[in-house]
Amino acid sequence: MASRRCLGALTRHLRARLFSASPLENPQTLSLRSLGFTIPQRTSSDLDICHRAFRRSISIRFGGVRRCSSRPTNPSDEEEDGDDESEEEEENEERGVSSDGENGDVRASKCVVQRGKSDEEKVVEAAEIGYKVIGPLDSSENPFKLYEPFFAVVQIGSHQFKVSNGDSIFTERLKYCEVNDKLILNRVLMLGSRSQTVVGRPIVPDAAVHAVVEEHTLDATVIIFKKKRRKNYRRTKGHRQELTKLRITDIQGIDKSENVAALNSPQRITGSTEECHTCRWDYSLELARAYVHASKFNHRSKAER
Amino acid sequence: METHLPAFKETNPQLEVVMELVRGQHPHLKGFYKNHNQRVVCVKNLMPEDILLHATRLRNALGRKVVKLRTRHVTKHPSVQGTWTTALKF
Repeated sequence: MASRRCLGALTRHLRARLFSASPLENPQTLSLRSLGFTIPQRTSSDLDICHRAFRRSISIRFGGVRRCSSRPTNPSDEEEDGDDESEEEEENEERGVSSDGENGDVRASKCVVQRGKSDEEKVVEAAEIGYKVIGPLDSSENPFKLYEPFFAVVQIGSHQFKVSNGDSIFTERLKYCEVNDKLILNRVLMLGSRSQTVVGRPIVPDAAVHAVVEEHTLDATVIIFKKKRRKNYRRTKGHRQELTKLRITDIQGIDKSENVAALNSPQRITGSTEECHTCRWDYSLELARAYVHASKFNHRSKAER
Repeated sequence: METHLPAFKETNPQLEVVMELVRGQHPHLKGFYKNHNQRVVCVKNLMPEDILLHATRLRNALGRKVVKLRTRHVTKHPSVQGTWTTALKF
């Protein structure tokens, strides 16, 4: 397989050499140099095979690349690297590109142009608005831990999620971060464990949630169909939302050293029952619930007295 | 297309990019993912920048099947402090 790929590259190189004019020599020599760099041993043995295959292939391939003689052809490069993923691109695009050269003004590229991306500081500011800070890229270490019984309510943009270790989150497309980036989500509204709850007003300072960007995808197509009856009006539009999938790896800002098996039952009868003085609601567990109860029912909590 | 290809290859050294000339078919990009999924994107009559965008999208994505999302939050442990029931007393 690899040898066949080599052969394909070499035949294409030799073919391109035949057709090309002089201004092309620089990229070609570069490519040949790179190719020679990657396959230093094979050129001598495969060259004669290539010549034979080359002559045979010329007659076949002439029809496909007829227009290449008039326009400069770019040499095709190949890289043979790790086998995680592979992509194939078709060289028939050359035909499409040549037609684009004539009607270049009519068709505009659909790419979104990033305007005004002046400084890296601006990028960091924009990241702050989206409540994330880009950390370093993922190295060979494995940041994924086992599940820990702690949760955090985190806000990204305008959406809030209750996350724990090992969860996946789909958010709107986060700019300025690539796949396999580490993020730190600053905006943490609440932290919790089995026995403690930390409520922020509105955020908890010095709390951080670490996440890793898993992928940037497009959602499935949503068809927007508009119709006005008896008016001969019908429109169909497809829409794919751009999403980012984050994987939560770590929650910081809460005390994790306490023993988790302390509280099993939600009801704990203590000596001094704490009650809300306004409505006599029993919140004998911990003071954090007093704050929650007070804010919910607008009663003065015991701690505030 | 080929103007952006070397830069694309340099930024993604973990990918294996193969170019083939196939006659009689529209030009397309094929992505092979680790979960043995294939994603084919037709790039007929597209500008090189658009082709680069499609290639980048293929690279950014996992090989999941494109299905409408059920929830935005996928978790195996939904409750930390215990699931709420009507009989729960604080």
